[in-house]
Amino acid sequence: MSKPLVVFDKVQKHFGNFIAVKELDFEIREGEFLAIMGPSGCGKTTTLRMLAGLEAPSIGEIRLNGKVMNNVAPHERDTPLVWQSLALFPFLTARENVEFGLKMRGVDKAERKERALKWLEKMGILEFADRDISTLSGGQKQRVALARSLVMEPQILLLDEPLSALDAHLVIRMQAVLTDLQRELGITFVYVTHSQSEAFAMADRVVIMGEGRIAQIGSPKDIYREPANQFVAEFVGRNNILSGTVSSLTKSTAEITTPSGTFSVPMNEVALSEGQNASFVISADLVHISMDEPKGENTAHCKLISEEFVGSMVTLFLEDAQGHEFKVQMQERELSKFDLKGGDEIWLSWDTQSAHVLDEH
Amino acid sequence: MPTKPARTINLYALTWRLPIIFWQFIFFVGPVLFMVAMSFFLVKNYRMTEAFEFVNWSKMLSRGYFWDSYWYTVFIASVATVCAMCIAFPAAFALAFRASESTRRWAIFLLIIPFFTSYLVRTFSWFVILSESGVINGLLGTIGLGPYTMLNTNFGTLVGYMTLTLPLVVILQTVTMANIDKTLIEAARNLGCKPLATIWQVIIPLSKTGLIIAAIFCFILSFGDFVAPFYLGGSQEPTLPILILDTTKSGQQWPRAAVVAIMMMGTLFAIAFAGIALAYRKRKGAK
Repeated sequence: MSKPLVVFDKVQKHFGNFIAVKELDFEIREGEFLAIMGPSGCGKTTTLRMLAGLEAPSIGEIRLNGKVMNNVAPHERDTPLVWQSLALFPFLTARENVEFGLKMRGVDKAERKERALKWLEKMGILEFADRDISTLSGGQKQRVALARSLVMEPQILLLDEPLSALDAHLVIRMQAVLTDLQRELGITFVYVTHSQSEAFAMADRVVIMGEGRIAQIGSPKDIYREPANQFVAEFVGRNNILSGTVSSLTKSTAEITTPSGTFSVPMNEVALSEGQNASFVISADLVHISMDEPKGENTAHCKLISEEFVGSMVTLFLEDAQGHEFKVQMQERELSKFDLKGGDEIWLSWDTQSAHVLDEH
Repeated sequence: MPTKPARTINLYALTWRLPIIFWQFIFFVGPVLFMVAMSFFLVKNYRMTEAFEFVNWSKMLSRGYFWDSYWYTVFIASVATVCAMCIAFPAAFALAFRASESTRRWAIFLLIIPFFTSYLVRTFSWFVILSESGVINGLLGTIGLGPYTMLNTNFGTLVGYMTLTLPLVVILQTVTMANIDKTLIEAARNLGCKPLATIWQVIIPLSKTGLIIAAIFCFILSFGDFVAPFYLGGSQEPTLPILILDTTKSGQQWPRAAVVAIMMMGTLFAIAFAGIALAYRKRKGAK
């Protein structure tokens, strides 16, 4: 594990009576691609702005390379940010935009030009160097904004939902550009987004934030398969969440009785005791379907409500007799074997090992 | 290539525009044309007679005192414009970037109030403040300074011009700067721009159009103002509006006053066009 580049030490941010960030206590490692993800108003952008010095923490410390940054002005930091609106200067050409930071740092004219052109070339937009910003397309502007930040050769690059204004096909292209750049430069990227697909596609680690707190930090896979709590499980979506009481315990598994039936779950780091309330999740893509009642544990009899197609993947929305909603995700070609229509009754089942107990606290 | 639709006259739109076109003709184009015609008339025995002679033009434009007055007016109006823009800027900056939305709204409302009262009354109130026995000299006298002569000087004229133009210039600058995307200022700071440097690097370039328009307004108002140079400046060096007054009074020389007025209008048109061209100038590389 590489050493921490940034440390958030019990950081809080208050705006009058409103607390945007309630408690942040985490590290950003050198050279990692970290995504901070959460719903609107969860404090993710405030977190990024504190790192850039555009907001000062109300309580706690932010350290960069071990140095306390709380009272360092934004222009004295080396934390360039790529803005959601891109914030390119409309009165400057593409090249002058890229040169701006170097000019402010007192780099001489010839070197400025050379470095700016080098980055414009690297981003594949050299031919637009002397064009006005208003004449560039969305994707080209995006590249100018990236070049403008990266020309500063920072240790860390901050990105605030930079792809949210782009068309879907451009988003995929820019994701590849970003991950390639990050790998090639080896610098730390902190990427704020509300888009799960962007975060999971690019990040080494993902921080899930909710209501000003960190709900979970982990690899995309950890967060997807082993959400720490109900908030993460719901936010990540495509999860089936079941709640009930622990009816019996063995060394490796527990039985949880819910209104929809009794299910067994594997024990994890969450401590369970008999009679206690507990919730668990099963990812929608780990649920099997069948027309006849399957043998073994962990089954549910459901009625099909609706289906949703995204590419070759289908999500089935189902409901059991108690009205609990289930989701199943599968390949369209697999589903076509069943010839289902709305209102059909089918059986769901899953392996005990697919279930994951949530931490209620 | 698509063919252009045939131009048809929209009767509905025309009906609604007609009154304003009519108004402009009667009260603007008509008088201006008459003034141009009048500049070729002759005055005989204190009576104006219709003619088409260039004598007024050649007499006025060959006289030293006309050009002295012309360049003095250009100079003092330019100084007034620079002063107003500089004095207004900190106030407008504070209102645009430091004040809350509601404070800004109230401030703009308060800045409109001076226009409710007569400019002449506001000018006369300066006598109380600026005269040799006035408020300022009284205060300075208590610490053994003065008295300073402020009335009937260029300073007095400038004070008058500021009375006329400052509220408008502050309003125009404030509105311009309040509309700047604040993210761009943060972006500049993020890229290493010091707080004060953002004014030159970002704020002024972004508000260029509005600032130039404010300056044009200030120049036009000062250039054409009669009250400030006459009452507070003492008309010792006559500005063009004072020259017009003098010319009409002395021997009923309305045609020569018309020459001065046309020169003034020409100058203002030239300044306004140059300013607008500068404000909306496209940069190289722009489409």
